[in-house]
Amino acid sequence: MNLFNIIYAGTDQYLERAEEMVKKAVAAKGAEAPVRLPGTAYALPVIYAVTGEKITTVGELEKALDLAKGFIHKGRLLQDALDAGTASAMLAEIIEAVKYTLEEEPYKAPLQGHLTDAQIRAFGVPLVTQDIPGVAVLIGKCRDSATAGKIIKEYQELGLLTFMVGGIIDQAIAEGVKMGIDLRVIPLGYEIESVIHVVSVAIRASLIFGAVAPGDFAAHKKYTKERVKAFVNVFDDWDEKIIAAGAAAIELGFPAVTETYINEVPTLLLHQPDNDKVIATSLEARDIKIKVVKIDVPVGVSSAFEGERIRKGDMYAEFGGTRTKAWELVQMKALAEVEDHKIELVGPDLDAADTVPYRLPFAMVVNVAGKNMQADFEPVLERRLHYFLNYTEGVMHVGQRNIVWLRIGKEAFAKGLRLKHLGEVVYAKMKAEFNNVVDKCEVLIYTDAGKVEELEKELALPRYAARDERLASLVDENVDTFYSCTLCQSFAPAHVCIVTPERLGLCGAVSWLDAKATKELDPTGACQPVPKEGLEDEHKGIWSEVSKVVEKASQGAVNRVSLYSILEDPMTSCGCFECICGIVPEANGVLIVNREYGEITPVGMTFGELASMTGGGVQTPGFMGHGRHFIASRKFLRAEGGIARIVWMPKELKEDVRERLDATAKELYGIENFTDMICDETIATDAEGLLAYLSAKGHPALQMDPLM
Amino acid sequence: MMHEALEFDPTSTNLIDKAERDGVETIWDRKDAMKAPCGFGEKGVCCKNCAMGPCRISPVAGKGAQLGLCGATADTIVARNFARSVAGGTAAHSDHARDIAHVLLMASENGNYKVRDVEKLMRIAAEWGLDTEGKDPYDLAHELAERALLEFGKPFGKQIFLSRAPEQRQKIWQELNIEPRAIDREVTTLMHSTHIGCASDPESILEMAMRTSLADGWGGSMIGTEFSDILYGVPTARGTEANLGVIEEKMVNILLHGHDPSLSEMIVLAAEDPELVKLAKELGAEGINLVGMCCTGNEVTMRHGVRIAGNFYQQELAVITGAMEAVIVDVQCIFPALARLSQCYHTKFISTSPKAKIEGSTYIEFNEEHALETAKQIVREAILNYKNRDQAKVLIPQTKNKAVVGYSVETIIKHLDKVVNSQTDSFNTVKPLVDVIWAGVLRGAAGVVGCNNPKVKHDKSHVTIIKELIKNDIIVVVTGCAAQAAAKAGLLTMEAKELCGRGLREVCERVGIPPVLHMGSCVDISRILDLVSRVAKMKGLDLSDLPVVGVAPEWMSEKAMAIGTYVVTSGIDAFLGVTPHVTGSARFTDMLTNGLEEKVGAKFFFEEDPEACAEKIIARIEEKRAKLGI
Repeated sequence: MNLFNIIYAGTDQYLERAEEMVKKAVAAKGAEAPVRLPGTAYALPVIYAVTGEKITTVGELEKALDLAKGFIHKGRLLQDALDAGTASAMLAEIIEAVKYTLEEEPYKAPLQGHLTDAQIRAFGVPLVTQDIPGVAVLIGKCRDSATAGKIIKEYQELGLLTFMVGGIIDQAIAEGVKMGIDLRVIPLGYEIESVIHVVSVAIRASLIFGAVAPGDFAAHKKYTKERVKAFVNVFDDWDEKIIAAGAAAIELGFPAVTETYINEVPTLLLHQPDNDKVIATSLEARDIKIKVVKIDVPVGVSSAFEGERIRKGDMYAEFGGTRTKAWELVQMKALAEVEDHKIELVGPDLDAADTVPYRLPFAMVVNVAGKNMQADFEPVLERRLHYFLNYTEGVMHVGQRNIVWLRIGKEAFAKGLRLKHLGEVVYAKMKAEFNNVVDKCEVLIYTDAGKVEELEKELALPRYAARDERLASLVDENVDTFYSCTLCQSFAPAHVCIVTPERLGLCGAVSWLDAKATKELDPTGACQPVPKEGLEDEHKGIWSEVSKVVEKASQGAVNRVSLYSILEDPMTSCGCFECICGIVPEANGVLIVNREYGEITPVGMTFGELASMTGGGVQTPGFMGHGRHFIASRKFLRAEGGIARIVWMPKELKEDVRERLDATAKELYGIENFTDMICDETIATDAEGLLAYLSAKGHPALQMDPLM
Repeated sequence: MMHEALEFDPTSTNLIDKAERDGVETIWDRKDAMKAPCGFGEKGVCCKNCAMGPCRISPVAGKGAQLGLCGATADTIVARNFARSVAGGTAAHSDHARDIAHVLLMASENGNYKVRDVEKLMRIAAEWGLDTEGKDPYDLAHELAERALLEFGKPFGKQIFLSRAPEQRQKIWQELNIEPRAIDREVTTLMHSTHIGCASDPESILEMAMRTSLADGWGGSMIGTEFSDILYGVPTARGTEANLGVIEEKMVNILLHGHDPSLSEMIVLAAEDPELVKLAKELGAEGINLVGMCCTGNEVTMRHGVRIAGNFYQQELAVITGAMEAVIVDVQCIFPALARLSQCYHTKFISTSPKAKIEGSTYIEFNEEHALETAKQIVREAILNYKNRDQAKVLIPQTKNKAVVGYSVETIIKHLDKVVNSQTDSFNTVKPLVDVIWAGVLRGAAGVVGCNNPKVKHDKSHVTIIKELIKNDIIVVVTGCAAQAAAKAGLLTMEAKELCGRGLREVCERVGIPPVLHMGSCVDISRILDLVSRVAKMKGLDLSDLPVVGVAPEWMSEKAMAIGTYVVTSGIDAFLGVTPHVTGSARFTDMLTNGLEEKVGAKFFFEEDPEACAEKIIARIEEKRAKLGI
């Protein structure tokens, strides 16, 4: 077996097909027609990253072919073979790009095909927190569907992000695997070329989070090898094209495991004929260590199930929403008052259902105690309930406090899921995730209407009120310590967030209290206290100690930060920010776009394009990534005049922040209903329309000092 | 002026200039005085095996004497001379091994010599069919030592270690009737057969030389290596430094030069003796700085990290630094010239072996019975000599390089274990190495070994060939003075991966090894045989099927002749960067460089241009790969 010749043969096949496809595209659309993969600011991302060339038209695809051919030189050394792998990836991307050029929707549900930048950015937080511990790419077809189903479900339960290419997709469907981007099981397509869409994810992680320069392929390879924990499993017989794609994977640092014999390359190319061992083999090959918390419940518990939805028809029981009362509470108690691992249900269980869906009132009280526990951590722990319950297969959790809405699916009930199991999940997760602060934990679940009502009044509402009071007092002026957060550095090595009470981490996932708790949980971990000392400019939010910490944590990349300015030394971004804020010079203000909004904005760019201007830990005056919560802060853009600069936001975002934004505007400027002055996509997505609306509404930005 | 032979080594050039200023003579002066080497000797056609001669055959066919007085042809004379070199080399390696076996025989719990690696003792004893069950390690060690000593003179049977070779290879040896019997017997028989009036058939003489050489590679050398490991420990990867810059200005410098670890191990112990260290300090030195040269340097660097002062051609230069308190030598590769040279400086030149008494040296016989005591006495001599150093005569070059040394087969396998996936493979095998070669990630492997030789620019051939090979994804293992050349050139470092092709670089990074692996002294070429045999056996192949080669770019000694011959006879091509004295017989030369391939699947290549040599090696490796279909 001559491994390199197999790769070269595969590359030849990609080349032949790519040349045909380009010819077809030129004939059908003409050389001037645009070539565009949906929702990305990086043209054809793989080719862009490898060569620095943006391919945007059908005509330029010819150049792309030449670029790929430049990597084909069929020599006898490994680099030659890996280059052929790179060429294969570029050619596959050309083939896929032509598909998107010739057809409106080349991949129809459930197939995913290309992923947008926004979808990739959304994976940022779970990737850095290792909530997604790795990325599995499954190619081919298992010897039977049952095997396929078992393997995929196990990856899912381990929390991996799993991509599928080929016949395994149908096998997964046949086995009823819950799939989709929210469930971390993503069927890409049937043809091997569609594997490029996951390669594109890895490469764009490097472009987005790593801020690696397009064209610096060596740096991209280093990034993907060190930071993207992906690997490939090939089932059944491999062919030359699969092996050529494997060479591309290996070049990026991703090992491949094949079911059919292949000449092995230790750590990179492994032969594992035993399907029962493929997962363990793969995880070991990619050095993925999974902290397994075995929870004794009849359904799966994994972060991969977080995005699972329970639709009406699949619903067995429902709590809260508009129909019944439901609330949850985590409260700190003295060590002596908590009986560890006590799970108690007061009221009827799911078995008692007379009708389906069964609707019951619901309250969950989680009592925790620990030597290092602080009352400030209660909301931090309580917010995790949403995740823990969502991680449970067949359980959907929405909302928090007393606006909780919980659904349990029929399938989960059939598997034996009962309410006490929710207690088991919460107990196990609390102990596992907060082991430094939670020494004892008990979970009390109430479905008895009287009890739910009574305890809400006596217990929950006063506690919520007390917390609100504490939160209201938590402004930057009232604390003497901020926190640095370098959680993202596994992906964006130069980025560091400074988390203050009013400015949460730009991912939206780390508030000042979270950071404080994280520091307690892991004293030398990602969140470290920053003394609020060395005041240089309170208005702009510049403290020399803060800058010093940023300089150290960014390895010298950034040496000065203004916490409250977008123009002067703004805080850097990693890439997984919830929102991007960018200036609109014509309107003397800024617009804010959230990640979920995929359309064009009045500056002529989409979220992805705006986002690509910043990220990777680089300071880009005029652009700033941030969390949603920060928008209504009195510190938002304070150096530039504050929230009065906001001239445009997508409608959904406007509605989300309206209440708090209006309150802040009232407090700062005495303006009522300020949110209504802000334009959105239903009003205008071009500069002219925007200005017309602002003038009509008398938006304050127009009267402010020139921004630039 | 840059010295011609040292063009590659400015460090040494400075010392040559100093030698001139100091009015002392070096090998290069003697080479100049020698002028052109004897043309008949060079071609191997001079016979002085009997007193009727010397006879010399005319190098021009049909012109001048074509036969010796006895009627011996050029073919016979060349073959006999070649064979006697092989016998000489085999004798040297094997006599070294015999001494090690003797030391093992006297090893005891409370003595100077102990069994440091009981696990290896058990392993070798089991391999040799001894009953190890419940035995006291020392009883077993003595039993094994006796068995080893029999390998030199047993009346019946063949060398035990031959069974380490792949079965196909053993069969070839058997069919050619070249399985070596007792080591001494092979040397004796070969000396006998090349006596006046014995064998004249060059083919037969070559075959006997091959059998003798196997008694070296799979006999003496292998015993030397394995038994040294039992006594002194299996070498493990460790850092050191190499080149004359390791000589310290403010310390008592002691150079260990020669081959046998039994002496050097004791010197290492003695140099750490607190009383002696104290003495050195009392006399104004900062401590004792032990440095090594040639193969004894390799032995102590791979077991203790003792720094390497240099290789063969630098032995005089170490003295010329003026900072060497003592040069302690045992056997092999020691210039007699060191005696006279030392007298021009304060250096004490101490010879220790009754097998290598050197005129003009201080002779302190090393007696294994009182090993440590003798070693301390020797070190004390060196320390006491510190006060005699003439600071005006001191010139220590600042050049040195870092190196990682100590890659025994065991250590290599331990490193390979790092890349084993526990779900697909088992540990403690060479499979990862086999895999990367078969996949093409590595194209093959080369053992670059041997000496220095003033016929070529020192170290240049070693370093040029090694660099060219690693650039082409061929992993290199080194021993002897070649290893020290690589160390000085910085090739035994993790950083050297940057000089490699992508495949070898990837292997270095993943396995955590340098691209050039230091496997020890010249007897340790037996480690290379062991390693490649494991690779062949894993694939069910013969050694001659593997894309591996042996290279001796700058060889000079008879030992190297023996090594080259056993390497080829084991089925591995040997590339010689210095042409041996055989060209006076076109027929014999053709046998070595052509005919042998049919018999043993491998042959000699003579190529003095290092770049061209590397090219030929690569081509040959690719040829083997093509045959394997990989």
